[in-house]
This record gives sequence, C-alpha cells and structure tokens, in this order.
Amino acid sequence: MKLILTKYLCPPALKKATIFFLTVVFFFAQTAIEVAAQKKFSRSYPASKNVRLQLTNRTGTVTVEGWDKDEIQISAYLEAPAANINPQSLNGGIYINLVKDNMGRNDVGNVNFTIKVPYTSAVDIETRIGNLSVGNVRGTFVRANISAEGDITLTNIGASTVSAENLMGDIFFDGVVQANGHYRFMSTRGNINLRIPLNSSFKLVATAPSTRNISLGEFSNSKMNFLGDGRRVVGQTGDGSATLTVTNQRGSISFIRR
Amino acid sequence: MNCEKCKEQISAYLDNELDDISSANVQEHIAACADCAKVCEDLSMILDFCVEDVEIESEVPPNSKALWRRINNIIETDVKEMKPSPEVVDNRNWFAKLWRNSWQMSFSQVVASFVGIALISSLLTFVAIKNYSAEAEMDSNAATVSESVFQKVLGKIGLVETPAQARARRLAEQQKVIDYWNQRVELRRQNWNGQIRETFDRNLREINQVVYEYNSILEKNPQDNLTGEMLDAAMNEKMDLLRAFSEL
Repeated sequence: MKLILTKYLCPPALKKATIFFLTVVFFFAQTAIEVAAQKKFSRSYPASKNVRLQLTNRTGTVTVEGWDKDEIQISAYLEAPAANINPQSLNGGIYINLVKDNMGRNDVGNVNFTIKVPYTSAVDIETRIGNLSVGNVRGTFVRANISAEGDITLTNIGASTVSAENLMGDIFFDGVVQANGHYRFMSTRGNINLRIPLNSSFKLVATAPSTRNISLGEFSNSKMNFLGDGRRVVGQTGDGSATLTVTNQRGSISFIRR
Repeated sequence: MNCEKCKEQISAYLDNELDDISSANVQEHIAACADCAKVCEDLSMILDFCVEDVEIESEVPPNSKALWRRINNIIETDVKEMKPSPEVVDNRNWFAKLWRNSWQMSFSQVVASFVGIALISSLLTFVAIKNYSAEAEMDSNAATVSESVFQKVLGKIGLVETPAQARARRLAEQQKVIDYWNQRVELRRQNWNGQIRETFDRNLREINQVVYEYNSILEKNPQDNLTGEMLDAAMNEKMDLLRAFSEL
C-alpha cells in the first residue's frame, strides 16, 4: 500500500516538474530581493551649455554621456545600505559629493550613476573604487580620477584639458588632441591605450619604467627618442603645441590611430 | 749743536741755568732750527702760564724741580686728553689703513682681487641657478644625472643639494605625510565593509611593491634620475590613496 501511494504521488515527471518550479520561484524571489534592495534616485537640472559637473563618488560605477539638451539628468541606483545623495546647484554647476554627504557612516552601499550632460560641459568625476566612463563630451576639461581600482573609459572626447588617473585598472582614451591642450594619463598597474588622430600635434613624455612597453604605432617618427633603456619616450609630432604626459608604473602604453 | 742736545738743554736755557757758552749754543741753534724754536716757544709759554699760576697759588714753592714736575704733569694730562680711547684708535687705524691700502695695491694684488671677485661671483651665480632650477631638473627628461666633481665638492660642503640629498629630503617629507594619513586610515578601516577593505589592501600592496622596487634600483644606482622621479610619483600616489580612504 505504501509503495503504491509513493508511486502514485511522486512519479519521476512530477519530481522534475517540482524541482523546475522551485528553481524558477527561487530565481524570481532572488531578483525581487535584489531589486527591492536597490533604490533609485533621479533628478534633472536645467543647465547652460558650458555647465560644470563635479561628482565625487565613494564606490560604484559612473557613466557620463553628452547629449543635445541644456539639461543635466542624474540617475543613480543605490545599493543597500543606501547612500545619502544631496546634489547642489551652485554658480551654474552641479556638485555631488557622496563622501561628504555620508561622512561618519559606517557602511554605505555602492552607488551606480548614469548622468547626461550637455555636449560642451566640463566634467570632473572621481571615485574611490569603481569604473568611470565619459563619452561625447567636448567642454573645456574632462577629469576622471579613481583613487584605487577601476577602469577609465573616455570616448569621443574633444576637451582641451584631459586628466585620467587610477591605481589599478585600464585607461582608454578615444578623442582628439586640441592645439595647446594638456593631456595627462597615469596608472600604476593596467594598460593605457590612447586612440587619437594621426595628424595630432603634441609633445610627448611617455614613461613605462617596469615593462618598457611603449608602443607608438603610426605615431613613431624621427623626433621620438627612447631614453633610459627604453623606459621613457620623449618627442613630438607636428608642431607639438599640445602636451601629452603618460605614465604607467607597471603596465603598457599604446598609441592607436583614430 | 744738534736738535737732540738742544731739546735736552731748552728747559735749562729757559730757566737761565746754563752757562754762557751753552746758552749761546742753544740760542744759535734755535735761531737756525725751526723745530727746536717751536719747542722752545711752547715750553716758554707753559713756563709763563705756570709762573702766573704760581703767583696765584702762592703757597706752591718756587722750586724749579717741583715746577718742572708740575709742567710734566700738565703736559701728560693734556696728552692723555688728546689721546683717543683704544677702540677709537683701532677703528681709526683700521679705516686709515684700509683707505691707505686700497690705493696702495700692487698690480699682482689688483689682478688677484679681480680673479677672487670673479670666482666668488661665479660661485654665487652657480649656486643661485642650481637652487632655482632644482625642481625643473627633477622633471627633466634625462634618465640619469652624473654629478661633476665641482658639484660633488659643493654638495659636500653644503653649498648645493645633490640630487640624492634632494631625493632623501623629499622622501622624508612624503613619509611624514604618509604616516599621518596612515594613522587616520587605521582609525577608519574598522568601519569599512569587506569589499573596501580588500580593495584598499590590494592597492596598497601594489603601490608598496612599486616603491620597494624603485628603492632597490636607487640603492644600486643613486644617479638614476628617472627612477627617482618615478619613486616620487609612486609616493604621491600612496599619499593620495591613504588620504582618499581616510575619508571613508
């Protein structure tokens, strides 16, 4: 009787269906918990064409994109425990400082930003840990700084002053080198890749002391000199009006034609 | 009669104590010698003054010896009054010597002076330029710097800072700042979550490794300017890392 009941109630097909059902339920429940743990922050500010965005994040990713609107739109996903965000609009600029806003708190979750800014904005972003990405911006300057770990990706940049610095992580710059501009890229461990037009004019000081891996590609010319057993390249292309300083303590430096 | 003999006998002559011949000789010499005549005149004036004084102070005995002692005392007092203090004498002598000597140099002394001035000017100019451009040199693109013997000597006597000394000083300053931020980090890190703690430790290890490698290279080759520059940059990155995480 017991055997018959068992066979009747738990056939193999039912067993499989039950396992599948429980798996699906568990998956959706987990997703629901994660979504519930994240808070979303959204805010928009009217902005002038040359508005300045200054963001200091603690941990998390930051993506800044240029768009054809005179408006700054800030979206952020706040992981638990949710951080305090208090953007300030001062003197035509937008200032967000999560380090200051959460000073004294013991545990604060990651904050992942997506920010839209006018094309001609000046962008100054930094974080302690996390990837930074800036695209389609051609204002006066772009600064991306990661105190510790994270990749920096700067695409379609037309600013005359660009600075990107991290400790561990890759740096990728894809943009134009403006005449009389200043460009500075520094990393301790990672790869630095610079994609710029071949007709760019700049004075270069590129240093990779540990790897000695400095690849000039098509930018190599007779005015480029390798110094210190190949640890540094100094030279210029065109009239050398811009300055380009690249330092990678334990990684490579590569120039790619845009 | 010569001047010396005459001056010895002038006082006796004025006191009418000489015999006729000696008195005539003195008179003859005074007539011919302007110096002795001046001495005689001075003594005569003093004598007249003293005689007047004697007349006023009648209790003073009209003793010639006592009179001459008195005259001597007066002369000595006058001479003392005229004599300046030793410092003043020294200063006056020094200035006088300098003034006299400055216009009394031989050709070789003049040449030696010019060479000395040129050398000192060059040295001071070099030291000034060296100090002014010290930081610029640190940023120079040269991979190594070889010190000249002159620079080494100047460095040894402390007139200029050698690259190694400048580096050591800079490192000591940076280490102080690092120690400060390190203390701040130690206070804060207990409040960090696991992710931040692990990431921070991993990055600090990385930068410490870089600093260690550069120090090792510099121990073998202290003249490696490029490594010195990279060490400086790595120390700055370490400072920035500690400062940034001390705020979390």
